[in-house]
Amino acid sequence: MNGEHIKKIKEVEEMLLDVGTLLMSNGASTGRVRTTVNRIAEALGYEVELLITSRSLMLTVTEENGSDYTSSVRRTPPHGVNFKLVSGISRMSWRIIEDKLSVEQINQDLSRLRSLPHYPRLVVLSLVALAGASFCRLFGGDAVEMIVAFVATFVGLFIRQEAIKKRFNPYLAIVFASFAASMISGLSVRLGTGNTSEHALATSVLFLIPGVPFINSLTDLLDGNTLNGIVRGVNGFIIAFSIAFGLMLAMKICGI
Amino acid sequence: MSLEFISIFEKGIWFGFAALGFGVLFNVPQRALLIIWLMGAAGGLTKLLLMLFSIDIVLATFAGATLVGILSVSAAHNKHAPPLVFSIPAVIPMVPGAFAYRMMLGLIKLSGTAVTNETYSQTLGETASNGLKTLFILISLAVGVAIPMLISRKETIKRIRHISDSDAE
Repeated sequence: MNGEHIKKIKEVEEMLLDVGTLLMSNGASTGRVRTTVNRIAEALGYEVELLITSRSLMLTVTEENGSDYTSSVRRTPPHGVNFKLVSGISRMSWRIIEDKLSVEQINQDLSRLRSLPHYPRLVVLSLVALAGASFCRLFGGDAVEMIVAFVATFVGLFIRQEAIKKRFNPYLAIVFASFAASMISGLSVRLGTGNTSEHALATSVLFLIPGVPFINSLTDLLDGNTLNGIVRGVNGFIIAFSIAFGLMLAMKICGI
Repeated sequence: MSLEFISIFEKGIWFGFAALGFGVLFNVPQRALLIIWLMGAAGGLTKLLLMLFSIDIVLATFAGATLVGILSVSAAHNKHAPPLVFSIPAVIPMVPGAFAYRMMLGLIKLSGTAVTNETYSQTLGETASNGLKTLFILISLAVGVAIPMLISRKETIKRIRHISDSDAE
């Protein structure tokens, strides 16, 4: 039971907490967090027990064939979606097994993955706006309505990004974005550009839909992680209500 | 009939772009983008073709989502990324946005003063129908995607190990 020994386990534990919280807050399901953390711990010769909730992670690391162990808890940052990180960590976990990476190398790789660039902002805005226009076409909109949906989505997403940067409540950021997007499509209906109101209005807020929370919620429920599944589902419902609230405000103002 | 097929094919292109937009929004790795476009189009086309043969929208969506789920597992093997990286963006174009919107309009109407006794039951019926369609389509999307991922978990791990053995990166 010497201090040096415990320090080594502590290092592994800190790294595992990093991996787990990063996965959880970037769109991985509970089952994936558990499998990945277990896999990495096993490869390094440790046993780990996990308690995973949506906003915190607790783990106990024991060394194989030893009696020394440490436990600690870490708060998980607010959830976002970054699949580059999820997929990067998944690849790394296999390299740990095959190339026998040390804890130091893993930490280096984690900070590299953290600093991987996102797509340029303009590219994200334009492609998501194009997705909005595509939705509009799929629901039967014409060319003019597609342009309206494009502009509305572009502006809406821009406002959401700005609101998140200014650290507004995430649900409030969605209300702002939904309101802005539907104001644009609603005003265009008022000014008589599109022939029907439905298409552009209904599709200009679709970029906000909580796809990742809902699908992860169901994956968790089917996987037996019932509590986390319920938490994710409730989160998805609040997002859906926020979208509806912003849309309703804009419709009342535009008098549709 | 052939005109219908052309219009469905055109919609396939838009399904792809809608999926691609969400892929970029979720910051997927660049190597996954083309696959996501193709999978979005394939899932959407499956749904539309089945609906053309008068299969119910809920069942058709379930089939489309299941196809996306299965494709995502094999894409995960080939492109070294978890299946959800491909499947979540690819099924999002099938979300029932129009039904959800109409349900919301109905709810606003029902809770407001504009509804008279005569129109109340009709509005209620329409709202319930739109709401149930929204709910069941959402569930079939999520289940369709989740089931192949759950079934294939063990196999995925083995196959990826096998592939990355011969892979330099």
